[in-house]
Amino acid sequence: MIELRSASKTYRPLFGRPVTAVVDFSLQIAEGEVLGIAGPNGAGKSTLLSLLLGYLRPTSGTVLIRGMEPRSFVEKNGIGYLSELMTINPNWKAEDALKRFATLASVPPGEIQTRVNAVIEELGIGEHRDKKIKALSKGNLQRLGIAQALLRDEQVMILDEPTHGLDPVWTQRFRGIVEGLRRPGRTIIIASHNLDELQRLADRVAIIDRGRLQRLVQTGYHQATDTGGTYRFSVAAGAHRVKELFPAAVDTGEGEFELAFGSIVELNSALSKLIAAGVLLAGVMPARSVLEQQFREAVGEKG
Amino acid sequence: MAQNLTRYAYWQFRDFIRERGLALIITSTLLGLTIVAPMRVMLGSGIGEPDAKRILILALPQIVFISAFIALNGIISTDRKLGYYRFLFSKPVSIPAYYAQYFVISFVGFLAVFAFLLGIFAIVVRPVNPVGALAFCAIVYLSFGGIAFLVSSLFRYDWPILAGIYLGSAVINGFWAAETGWRMVIRNLLPPLHQLSPNDLINLGTVDGRALVWLLGYSALCFAAGLLVLWRRPIG
Repeated sequence: MIELRSASKTYRPLFGRPVTAVVDFSLQIAEGEVLGIAGPNGAGKSTLLSLLLGYLRPTSGTVLIRGMEPRSFVEKNGIGYLSELMTINPNWKAEDALKRFATLASVPPGEIQTRVNAVIEELGIGEHRDKKIKALSKGNLQRLGIAQALLRDEQVMILDEPTHGLDPVWTQRFRGIVEGLRRPGRTIIIASHNLDELQRLADRVAIIDRGRLQRLVQTGYHQATDTGGTYRFSVAAGAHRVKELFPAAVDTGEGEFELAFGSIVELNSALSKLIAAGVLLAGVMPARSVLEQQFREAVGEKG
Repeated sequence: MAQNLTRYAYWQFRDFIRERGLALIITSTLLGLTIVAPMRVMLGSGIGEPDAKRILILALPQIVFISAFIALNGIISTDRKLGYYRFLFSKPVSIPAYYAQYFVISFVGFLAVFAFLLGIFAIVVRPVNPVGALAFCAIVYLSFGGIAFLVSSLFRYDWPILAGIYLGSAVINGFWAAETGWRMVIRNLLPPLHQLSPNDLINLGTVDGRALVWLLGYSALCFAAGLLVLWRRPIG
């Protein structure tokens, strides 16, 4: 289990005012859980991850990974980590970089080449293995970063903006990779600006802003049935009837309307009325996900 | 030391040779040529071993000090400055052990470079026994290494500070060599590189034991302080 107890981190520059990046942060992350971290730019996500990796120490409070200080845990076990900043020496070749990381990750010497080949295959970077890091595109570099995090069967994985720079195909594949990584005893933390991705991958999402934990959102579609929300209708015929039946409906143009419901029962009742009135519906979907709604409420419009 | 780190020594050695070794060879060769070439011309073709040693005693200190500076500056700070630590130290690695090993690897690489340069010297001038010259290079690296390691563990932009310390040491030891009181204290706080005599090592094959203990003791203390900084202070 990972535990943050009232953890705060204040940067004290030599010149200028101190900046508090994480404030009184308390959270427990269970083994086997996938936790998402979302927040606007400058919310304190990177500082929080640095605290978890032991690259920074909290100014006050405690951070523990399986009862150990983060640095002690990392030095003993390692963490599967993908940094948002792909800071790998640009003069290293892609395959050599993976061999280096595999060596440091304590992959037995006889298995290094096999493991490196496996992650190269899994991330589809075979044709780039002899290229220097500086010659890789953003997407390929990101895939290399993910590959090095997968070199060993780690108990804790921290992925910072994992799909940044990936094309839609690899974004989709990455989701499959994370699903494959789920197992009892492994904790996965994913920090991302992509709320849709967190909604799909995480069990819970911590929304942080101004260094504080603003909300902890349970993801999963059952939430939508309980809380209702705003839905978008695409209407193929009979659009004029929508406003007659539901004056509160917002016409967003091109036969699309948005309407808020208190519950999923209310939504179904409205759909029945529309169909009975001769409205031909082409599609119904949530206007925004539960997570997006919670995010907007937690951080306001700046997010 | 952990096995994974021991195995990583190969990669560290490769990094040293590629990123610093070539720079050392080019800089040292160019610098050496400006000293060696005129003397070589002046002495003509009949250079004996005493003449060759005199050329080496003159040239080597000029080259070795600047080379030690090139080899050691940024030994820790470069990884912090460029963020390379993020991927390296998410692996099961002790940060002080990683850099202590890199310091040793750099030392081996430094000596390998100077063994190569002495080979060039043997071809261009004439062969001399390389033991004294290599011992001189080793002592310069180790003497300068401790303070370089400490400064690099403390500051992201270590090279101007290191250059200041190095030049400050040379100037203060030149002007305040016989001073007592607070001036002596300041002189002793700076790396005592003036204690080194290339003549003794290269010509006579001897070294002043007291000076050596002072130099290496000073450097060892600074090195230990650098390790303490890496152990206690987060790298991020």
